[in-house]
This record gives sequence, structure tokens and C-alpha cells, in this order.
Amino acid sequence: MLLVENLVKEFQNTTAIDNISFKVEPGEIFGLLGPNGAGKTTTLRTVLNIIKPTSGKVLFNDQLITGDFLNHIGYLPEERGLYKKSKVIDVILYFAELKNMKRTEAVKQADSWLKRLDIFHYRNNKIDELSKGNQQKVQFIMSVIHNPQLLIFDEPFTGFDPINQQEIRELIFSFVSEGKIIILSTHQMETAEKLCTDIFLLNNGKEVTSGKLSHIKKEFGGNHVEIKFSGDVSFISSMAEVITVDTYNNYAEVHLKAVVEPSDFLKKITYKIDITHFSVIEPTLNRIFIDLIKQN
Amino acid sequence: MKKILTIARWEYLEKVKTKTFIISLVITPLIIIMFSLLPTLLTQKEDQRTKVIGVVDTSGIFFHRLNDELEQYKLDDNQPNYILLNLADNKKTLEQLKTEADKNVIDNKIEGFLFILNSGTDSLEIEYRSENLGNFKDLRRFEEKINRIRIQNELNARGIDPSLAAFVQNSIEIEQIKIEKSGEEGKQNFLVVFFSAFIFIMLLMMMVIYSGQLLVRSLIEEKSNRLIEILISSCTSEQLLAGKILGLSALGLTQIFIWSLIGITLVGGAVIPPAAFDNILIMLVYFITGFIFYTTIFVGIGSIVTTEQEAQQMTTYISLILILPVVVAMPAIQNPDSMMVRVMSYIPLTIPSMMLLRFKIAPVPLIDIIITLNIMFVSTIITLKIAAKIFRIGILSYGKKPTIKELIQWLREE
Repeated sequence: MLLVENLVKEFQNTTAIDNISFKVEPGEIFGLLGPNGAGKTTTLRTVLNIIKPTSGKVLFNDQLITGDFLNHIGYLPEERGLYKKSKVIDVILYFAELKNMKRTEAVKQADSWLKRLDIFHYRNNKIDELSKGNQQKVQFIMSVIHNPQLLIFDEPFTGFDPINQQEIRELIFSFVSEGKIIILSTHQMETAEKLCTDIFLLNNGKEVTSGKLSHIKKEFGGNHVEIKFSGDVSFISSMAEVITVDTYNNYAEVHLKAVVEPSDFLKKITYKIDITHFSVIEPTLNRIFIDLIKQN
Repeated sequence: MKKILTIARWEYLEKVKTKTFIISLVITPLIIIMFSLLPTLLTQKEDQRTKVIGVVDTSGIFFHRLNDELEQYKLDDNQPNYILLNLADNKKTLEQLKTEADKNVIDNKIEGFLFILNSGTDSLEIEYRSENLGNFKDLRRFEEKINRIRIQNELNARGIDPSLAAFVQNSIEIEQIKIEKSGEEGKQNFLVVFFSAFIFIMLLMMMVIYSGQLLVRSLIEEKSNRLIEILISSCTSEQLLAGKILGLSALGLTQIFIWSLIGITLVGGAVIPPAAFDNILIMLVYFITGFIFYTTIFVGIGSIVTTEQEAQQMTTYISLILILPVVVAMPAIQNPDSMMVRVMSYIPLTIPSMMLLRFKIAPVPLIDIIITLNIMFVSTIITLKIAAKIFRIGILSYGKKPTIKELIQWLREE
């Protein structure tokens, strides 16, 4: 279990992390969400012991993350990069050995991962001969090759095409069933919604909300409907029943006030536009996220 | 410890494989040797061709004597160095002779010509006219011989005993001999002393610049592609620092080893006199300690700078300090006990190169060796500690270069 208690990180004149606490259990994906500059990466760096917190502590299975514990952590940083002039296999082995793997075991695992991600034929190529997506795969391998108990992925899907995103997603799910502790930091709400069981929403270094995704949806979900239509719907946003409305081409998502019955709302608008589809929907995490951040 | 070795091995292998390293390994000593030996070779080597020198001698007494005297100069293949050509011709005026001879020089029929104008009893006006005014050696020889003939003539004319005349004309040359310890005689001359010290200092400087740049460049790369974060989440910054310095030192030792091989080959080929390798072991000690000292400085710098240009600037400044002793080499050789030399051989930044120089000039007292090595040792540890602190914070601060104030703050953090 990973436990973060009252973490504070101050830089010279800013507070990057302002007293946050959370815990991550094995076998779940913990989503650390927030807009750009919210303090996600700083939080991760503190957890990884890359930077020291001003106060608070990080415990991994009740112990501080130092020395040997570093060998049980896998980290995929947001900004990717590798030694461009070095060979794929050499780079992977270097980082595997830095995680205290034996060389023979590292070679075995590296080959198996290269095959699994379908880049075995680049094994002896230089990094800069690989496409950007394949370089990312190499970096992904580096973060998981030593079979770490704690996995930290910072925006793991950026730079991957949809097929590879799917592949990486499946791999991450497989780590869940292996009982690993996984932290996923992202601002892509769709990804978080699909993967995470628990989320922690961070803004300006402070906790906005946290908990099980299903609870958060219930709590902040509200009253949402989806309409498909033809005609002009600009009048909807000025209706008394409506809080917000997102209008697309011939499709709109409407956030109704809690007291409004969706069926009453439907009756009111059928006179003005042709409706081809009407349904009550669960709000997307994206919607909740935007609303919460705006409220803040 | 295992991680330190892993890092060291990576740093070493990845750099030793680069083309630039392999090229620098061979090219650097070649350039240095060329630069240091070329002037010596050029000035000392006889011009291996026979020169035809014209003589217009109005006095009529110099040509044959001069011809005899100059015969002593032979080329390597035993051909005469100079052939004199008598240009005197009674039918022509002096002006005519001069113009004609000038033309011959320009047409490269003769190298140049001596124009000896006898205008009175003991008053001679002599010109050496040629296209090339830089030929000091030829001119010095002509001067010496003509003067010799002139004096001899005068002594003969006054009826001086020929043996006394010969004695008067003989001069004595002083041979310089460097005294090594316990009364051994060193046979090296000034140029050998100067250039062998010069070569070692240049090698040290090139090595420091080169590996310093490698180190700084790799740090900048790791910073800019954030690999540093993965590294630091895999090992401590102390391990990373130690590994890098170890790997780079191994790289330096490889360079020394290969350069020594080149040096030995050159000695074998008689290009470098064996005297250049006197005291080589103790010099190697200074070489290596100097290298490690500078490497730790570069680590500190590498963790501060953010772009390659900045890095280049910094490395250049630092390397200039290393070469400072070469600038003061002349006065140091003339007076090894001068204040400046002594002071410079106690400043950590200049100890390595200064001591390399001192070993070549005069025997260095044991006490000086002990003191300077201790200074090196202590200052290396101090810079290492400072560098480690800057390194720990610097490698994770991206973007702007820290100000001096921020740097001091970093050093204060425990």
C-alpha cells in the first residue's frame, strides 16, 4: 500500500503541493487528475523521492521510499526521452541493471518485452532510428521490466496511436490483476474514466475532490440529458431549468437543475425543435472536472 | 556500489564507442606533436639542397677564400651546401653587374649574391641580395666567414705569428648541461625541456576539455530529455555522481594509455627524445589527480548549465586556466625558483600543469611533491562535496540557470 500523508512542497515563493493525503491499495488504478500546472508531476516526483517534500511523508508498505525500495518502483515520466545514440537493448539493460536486475535476467525480460510490444526487430538499432511511438514503447519497457510493485505513469498515452494506446491500456490492466499499485496521472479525463477506480482531483496544489470514481459521479453528477436534434437550440441556454449546455453540430449535452424533471424539460423543447433522440445520461468525468475546476 | 559500477560502465562504454572519442584519441596527440615539434624541426633541420650564391667581389680577395671556408658546410648526402659563383667581370660596370645578378636571382638561377664593395683601405660595404630575407642562418655564416677572412688578412699583413693569429680567431662555445639529482648529467637542451613539458600540459588540457565536454553534454542531454528523473528514481544522486566520475576517469585512463603507446612508438622512432619521459610516473600521478580534480569541477558546472553553448563557454574558461603555466613557461624555465612559479604550484587549479612543467625544468624537492599532492587531494574532496550538492539540486532544476544567490542557498541545504 502506498500512503501519502499531509504532503507539502514549497518552492521559493510558491506552494506547489498544499497538504494533500491519499492512499493507493494494490490492485487498483489511482488516477491523479488535474489541469496543467496543478501539481501532479511535483506530487509524483515527491512520491518517487526525486525531490524532498517540505513536510509530510510518503510510505510504501509502511516504509520510507529510499535505497532498496527504489528498485521496486517503475516510473514513466511525462516528458519522454532516451539516449539517442545508444542501442535499444543497451539502454533497456542499463536501466534494468540500475534497478538491480541481474544481467542475464534483464536480457531475458528485455527480449520478452520487445517481442510483446512488437519491436524486437529494432533490438540492435540506435534509438534515434526508431519512430516516436516505438521510442515510447522502449521507455514503457524501461518502466516495467524489473517487475515493480509500484508503477507510476505520467500521461502514459500521449504520443501513442489508438492501436498502441489500446495495447498499453491492456498491459496496465494486466498489472492490476497482478496486484500492483498503480498511479496514473493525466489530464485526459476519458482515459481516467475508463481506467481508474479511484481518483484524486488536484488544482493549484490543493485537493478538489477524491474517492471512488462511482461515488464522485453520484455526488457531482447532477441531472444530465443528451439530445439529438435539428433546428436552432440556442434558446436552451437561457432557459430557467438549465445550468449549462454543451452544443455540438446536431447534438447537445444539457445540465439541468436538480429539481427539474427531464420529461418536463423534454415537453418544453419539443415544440421548438425536432428531436430525434433524447436520453438521461451519466455525466462524463470531463464534465465534472470542468465544473469543479471552474467552481474553484 | 553495484549501481555505481553499472553507471560507470555505461558512461564509459557509451562514450568510448563514439566516433568523436576515437578520432580525438589519435588526432589530439598528433596535432600537439605536430605543433610542438614543427618549429624545432623547421629551425634545426638543414635545408637539404645546394644553394648557388653569386659573388661580386671588387676587392678580389674574398671570393676564393670564402669559397674555401664555406666548403665545410655539407648536406646530409655530402654534397656542398653552397656553391659560389664568381660574377665579377671587368668589362661591365658595377651597376650592370648588379642589375644582371638581380635578374638572375629573380629568374631563380642563383639563390642570392654577395655584393662586396671595396671602398678604401679597410672599409668594406657588403650586401647580400636575395629574394628571401628570412634566411638568417646563411647570412650569419657568410658574415662570420667574411669577418674571419678580413681579420686573418689583417693579422697576416701585420706579420703576426700564424699560430697566434689562429688562436685569436678561435672562439669558445659554452655547453649547457642540466644537473639532475646526485650529480648525474642531463644532456637535454632547452627546446626538449620546453616542448616535452608543453606536450604534457597540452595533453592534460585537451583531455580535460574533451572529457569535460562529454560529461557536461551528457548531463545536459539527461536533463533535457528528463532521463535524469528515471536515473534519480533508480539510484541516489551520490551514486550517480560517483558513477559518472568513475566512468569518465576510466575514459581518461584509456586516453592516457593509448597516448603513452603513441609516445613510446614515437620515442622508438626517435621523433621524441627519451628524455621527455623522465619522471614519467610521478608526472602521471599529477596528470591523473589533475584530471579528476577538473572532472569534479565540470560536474558542478554541468549540473548548472542548461544549454550546450553555455557549457562550451564555461569549459573554455576553465581550460584556459590549465594552460596558464604554458604562458609563464619561459620565465619559469629561466628562473624556477621565482615567486610566481612557487605560488602557482600551490594553487589547485594550476598545480597539475605547473608541476608537469617543474619536473622538466629542475629537480623538484620531495617536500614540494608531498605538499602539492596533499593540496590536490584535499581540494578534490572539497570540490567533490560542493559539486555533489550542486549536482543533487541542479540536475532537477530545469530552465533558467541559477543565480549566485540561489547557488549559495543550494550549498547551505543539508
